[in-house]
Amino acid sequence: MNAIPLVLYGAAFVAYAWHFAQRRAFAGRTATTLLVAAALAHTFVIGMLTMEAGGVPVAGKTSAISTFVWLLALSYLYTEMTTDERAMGVFILPLLVVLQAIPASQPGVESHAAVLQGPLFGVHVSSLLFAYASFALACVIGITYVLLFKEIKAKHLGFFYARLPSLQVLDRMNQRAIVIGWVFLTVGMIVGGIWTAQARGLDPRVQAMSVQDPKIFVALVCWFVYSFELFAARRIGWGGRRSAYLSAVGFAIVLLNFVPISYFFTSSHNF
Amino acid sequence: MHLLLVGLSHRTAPVELRERVDFQARDLQAALRALAARGSAREAVVVSTCNRAEMYVACDEPEPTRQDLLRFLSDYNEVVPADVAPHAYDLSDLDAARHLFRVAAGLDSLVVGEPQILGQVKEAHTAATEARTSGPVLNRLFHASFAVGKRVRTETGLGSGAVSVSYAAVALARKIFGDLSGRNVVVVGAGEMGKLTAIHMKSQEVRHITIVSRTMAHAARTAEAIGGASAAPWTDLDAVLAASDIVITATGAASPILTKAHIEGAMRPRRNRPLFIIDIAMPRDVEPAAGEIEQVFLYNIDDLQATVRENLARRASEVTRAEAIVAEEIEKFGAWFRSRGAIPTVVALRARFEAIRRAELERLDFKLAALPPEARARVDEITHLIIEKLLLTPTEQLKSLSDADTVGAYAEALTRLFGLDQDERRNVEPFVRPPRRGPR
Repeated sequence: MNAIPLVLYGAAFVAYAWHFAQRRAFAGRTATTLLVAAALAHTFVIGMLTMEAGGVPVAGKTSAISTFVWLLALSYLYTEMTTDERAMGVFILPLLVVLQAIPASQPGVESHAAVLQGPLFGVHVSSLLFAYASFALACVIGITYVLLFKEIKAKHLGFFYARLPSLQVLDRMNQRAIVIGWVFLTVGMIVGGIWTAQARGLDPRVQAMSVQDPKIFVALVCWFVYSFELFAARRIGWGGRRSAYLSAVGFAIVLLNFVPISYFFTSSHNF
Repeated sequence: MHLLLVGLSHRTAPVELRERVDFQARDLQAALRALAARGSAREAVVVSTCNRAEMYVACDEPEPTRQDLLRFLSDYNEVVPADVAPHAYDLSDLDAARHLFRVAAGLDSLVVGEPQILGQVKEAHTAATEARTSGPVLNRLFHASFAVGKRVRTETGLGSGAVSVSYAAVALARKIFGDLSGRNVVVVGAGEMGKLTAIHMKSQEVRHITIVSRTMAHAARTAEAIGGASAAPWTDLDAVLAASDIVITATGAASPILTKAHIEGAMRPRRNRPLFIIDIAMPRDVEPAAGEIEQVFLYNIDDLQATVRENLARRASEVTRAEAIVAEEIEKFGAWFRSRGAIPTVVALRARFEAIRRAELERLDFKLAALPPEARARVDEITHLIIEKLLLTPTEQLKSLSDADTVGAYAEALTRLFGLDQDERRNVEPFVRPPRRGPR
């Protein structure tokens, strides 16, 4: 069922690339329309899975990815509509397509442990997913910042110069995305800790949870990276390009945590 | 109905003449009313900018109207006709429409793709609407030209990129800082160049402009000349630099006055907020190595000129795409315009049918008099419906004709077959005639 949004995301990507290259208003409208259609289809899919599973489908890595893609698409659409900037779409959409391909290739509702019911667990997973979606946006904005920065520095005002908003705007968008992501990351991790304390004894895996688990450890690393970035941007003037690089590094870690570690390495955090 | 354009522009007339032929300066509304009062044109719009004075009219008799417009052009502006005539051009029908489309697209401008012209064309049309001199034909024409201008702007790069050094500098500043309204500018050097650039920056509504010069009196004088700017002594340069976002250097110093170390020092209290340095001095005022500092963007006059050249080249390469849009829109407008050629014939045909119906009803009046009023009304209604039905297909067919020769042939045939009134279809003539003198 996740295949329909995947196809729509793919089509939206083509339209965004077309808009980016040709800058036709029609292409831009088509791109946004396709992405809205994809997000709506995705909402429907997630709604169906919710009814089938009797709870929000965030437990289990595959449906978590699908929910993440959905949140990212919605956050991006929000950014696009509030800033009237479509240039970022061509960078975000490939990420959506690649990640959505994972749930699309593994259909069906995953069975999951009874321990994963309850509001605390839901808050834990959804705030982390939302944090990761914000970091993804920050990363893409950071990349575009660096591309534009390099063009201006090199005094060669070309492709990106004509298409991207100003450095100042990109920097502000990047900072905002990171602040939002950081807040949700913090909340998600604290709630996760509380939930572990409560659920201890219900499942042997929860018993074994500690900072030594790669998934939890890498999440902490992430938290430090983003905390440092926020601190550096405010206190020691590491705004602009350095901040952009850090958000790319941070998101690389997030992605690492999200796909390979979830599937292959984690021992206790494997629901 | 014909379209006619008479005017002059930077392509045909020297600036001395353009200054004298200026409807805008002589009250455009009054010019439109005066033009309408002459009665040679049914509709009129006057496009008047510092680079062109053009009268677009819809008329019935192109040749006399053309003569009259030429006379009006010199009379109204109090110029000797012999001075105007060699520089004026006229175009008719679709050639006039094509010319307006190219004007609105910025293709006919002195600096190709400049953005003001579309607004000026819109103002010209608004003025004509207010003076009630525009009508269905020119409304359609001008709205089509707005669409062309908008399409060219959004679909091509014709208007993109600054094409003068000062605009290039402002465009760069905007790409770095976004909005310039909260930005501080410092101009180092109180010479003419620095002053001009400062005035340009002021028009961008920056927050504050400070002038720094080795001679405080010079700085104060320049600051006063600009208005709203303040002067600072040379010894305050570092403090002023730290508080500024845009630095313009234009001193006559023989060696760099701002070294890399100097600017690095200024960056520290700024906590690495971006600094945009525009070095328009020759020889240079800023050590080129300063451009290596993170968050410092250093452009000198050569760099700015290079981006201007690139932009001009890019605009030139977009002309073909813009011309294609003009051609496409002319096709659409032409179909509408040509379909209007059949309108007089349609009107005459309907008038003829209606006249026959009325005459017959009158002739049979004595027979119908015996009928009750409702029945008579019914007869009137039925005969009317029969005429409508009979004319439906011919009307549609005539309106869909898009070729002037065919329209003429049909009109001729209908006139003979139905004995149409010769006066009623005098407007049906071939449309596109060769221009007498083109603007190129």
